[in-house]
Formats: sequence, C-alpha cells, structure tokens
Amino acid sequence: MSESTSVPTDVFGVSHVGRVREANEDHFVVASLRKTLTLRHTNVEQASLLERKAGPEALLMLVADGVGGHAGGAEASRIAATAIVEYLSSAAHCFNNLDVDHEHEFMERLEKGVRIAHERITSSAAGERPPATTLTMVLLVAPRAYVVHVGDSRAMFLRKHRLRVLTRDQTMGEELVDVGAITAEQAARSRFRDQLTSALGSSAMTPSLGLVDLRAGDVLLLCTDGLTKHVTESRIADVLGQSATAEQVGRQLVDEALAGGGSDNVSVVVARIGS
Amino acid sequence: MIQKKVCMIGVFGVGKTSLVKQYVHSLFSVKYHSTVGVKIDRKTVEVDGDEVTLVLWDIAGKDAEEDIPASYIRGSHAVIFVVDGTRRETWEELPILTQLVQNTVGVIPMVVALNKSDMSEEWVMRPDEEQRVMSQWDVVRTSAKTGLGVEEVFQRIARGALGKPGAAS
Repeated sequence: MSESTSVPTDVFGVSHVGRVREANEDHFVVASLRKTLTLRHTNVEQASLLERKAGPEALLMLVADGVGGHAGGAEASRIAATAIVEYLSSAAHCFNNLDVDHEHEFMERLEKGVRIAHERITSSAAGERPPATTLTMVLLVAPRAYVVHVGDSRAMFLRKHRLRVLTRDQTMGEELVDVGAITAEQAARSRFRDQLTSALGSSAMTPSLGLVDLRAGDVLLLCTDGLTKHVTESRIADVLGQSATAEQVGRQLVDEALAGGGSDNVSVVVARIGS
Repeated sequence: MIQKKVCMIGVFGVGKTSLVKQYVHSLFSVKYHSTVGVKIDRKTVEVDGDEVTLVLWDIAGKDAEEDIPASYIRGSHAVIFVVDGTRRETWEELPILTQLVQNTVGVIPMVVALNKSDMSEEWVMRPDEEQRVMSQWDVVRTSAKTGLGVEEVFQRIARGALGKPGAAS
C-alpha cells in the first residue's frame, strides 16, 4: 500500500491550562510504535537496510479534552490517552503486516481501542455519572494517516497554503446546521455550540473513521477547542505555513489562543511531514 | 462476516457523502461539506440470505487541484460512480474515472448513481446523453435528498461485490 516505509517527521505536542480555568482537563500523546529491532553493532554493509526489516514505524498522535461540567474531565481524558497507548502497544503487530487486504481489520482495531477506552471510562464511575472526554487521534503509517475522532477536538492539515479539516465536530450545533434548522452564525452564538452529541464516557459514543495520504511538506495539526475558540482557521493556516519547527509552530498557536482570551484549556500536536 | 470495500468516486460536489449518509444514517444534510481524504462508513446488508458488510470509502471528489489517488482505490471489490444530472462535466469524467479504477484493480462491478434527480429545474442532462451513459454503464437514478434509488444502488453493488445474479456489471 505504501511505497515508503517511514516518513521522517518533526513532531511536537503541548498543553496549557489557559487563562481562566483552574485545572487542565486536556491530555495529549505523541508516540512512536514499531516492531523493535535496533541494531547495536554490525559489520554488515548497508546495515540500515536491516532496520527496515523491523517493519514500518507508526506515529501515534492524540488529543483528548475532558468534558467541562462533568466531574473528573481530566481523569476521563487521562484514561482515554493511557488506554489507547496500552491497547496499541499490545496490538502494534497489526500495522507491520498492513496491506490492502488487512486494512479493514486494522481500522477495526483502531476503533476497538477507542471503544476499550470508552468502556474503561464508563466503568471508572462506579455507579455515578461517568466523566467524559473528546478524542481525536491520528496513527500515521507513512504516508497514510488514519483518523479516529469523537467529539469536538479537531484534526486538520495544511497543504500548499490551504487548510483542510479532517474531522467534523460532533456537537448539537453542527447537527442543527446540517439539517438546516439554524445557520452557522446562530449555532456559533447558541448554547448548542459546545453540546457534544458523542463523547467517550457519555451515553452516545460514535467514532468517525477516515484517512488521508499525506505528502512531504504537509503540516498536520491536532487540537482541542481551546485553540479554535480563539484562533481562526485562516490564522491557523498562516501559522502552520511558517518556516518553523513543529515546536515553534505549536507554541505560537498556544500563545495566540492565550492572547485571544485563553478561556479554555488548549492542547495542540503539530507534525511536519518530511521527505 | 464477509466484508467488501466499495469506493464512492466522482467529481467534487456530486453528492457522494450525501448518498452514504442517506443510506447509512437515513439523514440528509442541507449544508455542503467538502470531504477531505476518505471518510469511512460501514453497513451490513443481507443479500439472498447472506450477510455482507459494505465498507464504504467516500473518497474526496476530483477537483482542479487534486486527482483521486489510485492508492485509495486499491483493494476495492466494487465501485459506485456518482454523477450529477445538473452538471455536465460530472458524467463527462466517467471514462477517465473508469480507466483509473480498471488500471488500479482491474475489472470489478461498477454502478453509476445519477444523483440529484429531485432537481428537475436545474437538470441539464438530455435524454440522448442519459441513453448514452446507460448504454455504457449500469445506471440508477438517485436522490440523496428524497432517498429515491438509494437502497437500490447499494443493494445492486452489494450483489455485484458478492457475484450474485442481477448485480452491477
């Protein structure tokens, strides 16, 4: 399926409590996964070819935003992040044999990881109303980026100066706009804007699945809504398009969210796709 | 459980996502959202007593900037081409898209959804053009808005993917 086995990527994640909230309920993860074979010493010529036999490296990136108004939002996003990492580390073999005939199975595994995280959050409540969290995750098995999304955090990427949003917010506001009940402007001002129709830990949890083949020069962004409440997509595109490292871009986005009011926790993961 | 990958292919804005949404969720969105990459949905259907899960790859439409990557089509068992009777360029692209599919996965079942059939005032496809398309492809008139033909087009492609009689050619 993929012509290249890995894509060198400059990646960085950062999270900030914001200027209003007392606690940070966001979590993020950036992790490399591979079937381990690390050469220590050899006299084999072109030894780097042996490392390729270890299988493609995958890059896991995720952001999770504990839902405000529920007890334990931070706990929910932490459980989601750790459950996904634990599950994928135990299922890491599945992307080493990845081809078109196994791709459906692979994507079902990603979705299963999200469902396991959901069940873990639900069972943590011990009879009480469970906490909840959004989850936006990308597993990059170069050049293909697999996206699993629940809630209103977002994944997007910049290609040739154009920002392309990979996820759709799972909110009541978005659904009402979809069916033509209200306009996007009305939704932005309404209480439905932040009302999630799907979240891990909540009674409705409907992951959406997607994928995209990324190219050298693309810049991928995952973020919680603490960014998009204060920084427009146009401005995000400008910042992602700068000639800067992933860390510089990530920190600037957070700074701009804080300068815009910082009304919520803000988390971003930025990945520059190399050649 | 048998799974079959079915790709939705066509020019941007013809209603690929709307057809999937109507078929899987029985919903129609009035707001247009351009698909980025591939959106994946699943639906399990029964064909002559056999259950099959259609894994629907709703692929971003071809536009001036982006072609449809062959890498998204690899491994497909069947294809639904979507064209829009209100825009001539959408069915004029069919031979090129058919070639792309055949070059990538060979000859597989294909059906054409002639979509937006509820928009009679904007309809520009002449009867002779429709006849010409029908003579070359298996065509079902659809409307993602009203639901017309939606079950039929997916049922036909499911039969095709399973190699059942009465299937898409």
